[in-house]
Amino acid sequence: MNPWPFVIAAYGLTFVATVATSLWAWQRARQAERRAADLLERD
Amino acid sequence: MHVLANPRRFLAIAVPATPWCFWGGIALILAGCWAGLFVAPADYLQGHSFRILYIHVPAAWLGMGGWSGLTIAAIMQLVWRHPLASVAGRAIAVPGAIFTALCLATGSIWGRPTWGTWWEWDGRLTSMLLLLFLYIGYIALARSSVERGDAGGVSRVTAIYALIGALNLPVIHYSVVWWNSLHQAKSISIVRMSSSIDPSMLWPLGLTVLGFTLWFTAIVLLRMRAMLAENRIEARLRRMSRG
Amino acid sequence: MVAVTSNRSGPKRKHQRLVLVLLALAAMIGGVLLAMSALRSQAAYFYTPAEALAAKVEPGRAIRLGGMVEAGSIKRHGDGTTVDFRLTDGEATVPATFTGITPDLFAENSGAVAEGAFGPDGVFRATNILAKHDERYMPREMEGIDYDPQTHQVDSSGQ
Repeated sequence: MNPWPFVIAAYGLTFVATVATSLWAWQRARQAERRAADLLERD
Repeated sequence: MHVLANPRRFLAIAVPATPWCFWGGIALILAGCWAGLFVAPADYLQGHSFRILYIHVPAAWLGMGGWSGLTIAAIMQLVWRHPLASVAGRAIAVPGAIFTALCLATGSIWGRPTWGTWWEWDGRLTSMLLLLFLYIGYIALARSSVERGDAGGVSRVTAIYALIGALNLPVIHYSVVWWNSLHQAKSISIVRMSSSIDPSMLWPLGLTVLGFTLWFTAIVLLRMRAMLAENRIEARLRRMSRG
Repeated sequence: MVAVTSNRSGPKRKHQRLVLVLLALAAMIGGVLLAMSALRSQAAYFYTPAEALAAKVEPGRAIRLGGMVEAGSIKRHGDGTTVDFRLTDGEATVPATFTGITPDLFAENSGAVAEGAFGPDGVFRATNILAKHDERYMPREMEGIDYDPQTHQVDSSGQ
């Protein structure tokens, strides 16, 4: 059995999960911190 | 520990630490994957399919390490009422669940060419699947307690649930020892500082495990920062609506 | 928040909570360990040949049998799909037969788990075969080097 399709599938899945989790976490932190800073400025 | 009790002091460390952990982790992951795919020699028995090891082991480590983190956070919440503990618990749960799922998926992909099956109800596989279900339960409990407004954190029931779930961790670890299992026994003994993985195949694993751990730390810090900021926004909006 | 909890969070109360949590945790871990050791045989994924013979597994009952494929025991029939082999755990050895495609890793001196049932003649009729690999990972050129699974030590003096 050719192992490379399995290896590529496993690495591909990990790549997608890592990139998606990264983008999600960065975007959520940036958005929340920016909004919090904006609100504080209005005080 | 109590130096970090104040969210402001926590943020003074977390904000500059985040990009270092994140990019350092990504660099190590890329180096480790490249070495694992192209530098390490093929296994004498499994050939190239063993290369899945370099992502499967870090995923298992993060899935189990994540629940260990939840357990520590739960103890800090129950015993010391540490204000950041429940935020940390919520921040860890989702990436921990993602990597537990990834461990199961990569293991399944590995199992097909090596064992000849995608899935078997063996002790190790079953206890790891239970860990994924435990994570899903934790996330649901934490979400419902936050929605009920438990001071921006998770309820005590959720923390106790994390403690009970920790019982599954030794079961996962010893499943290959206690029961005849399809999954092989562990290859690396930290206590005895020994490994049955040849050094030429071991060092890329060190890179990916360290890399994914750093990266996971960065994700948890980012999620904690987001939750703390969201708490500030909510508190501010509540004051405005009252005011 | 501080005002609400200050009456409940003195050092003594913290100490009590710590002892309580640790006691509860120790009790739960002890309970699970007990339950698991009781489950030991029931939760096993397969029988080893010695266990299967000791348990006198009756013919026709579906079980899994796991062990090492004995050296020199694999005989492939002329039809190309039927294979006879022997599974051993060092104590007992069981003859087995299987018709179908075996996994790539199915080989002599290597672990395998066979699903199936004993025939009346004592030959295990496998309906499915899974290859089990051990915890060793090494490059091809190192194959054959003596290895001690107890100490994880590779003895290269034999080379």
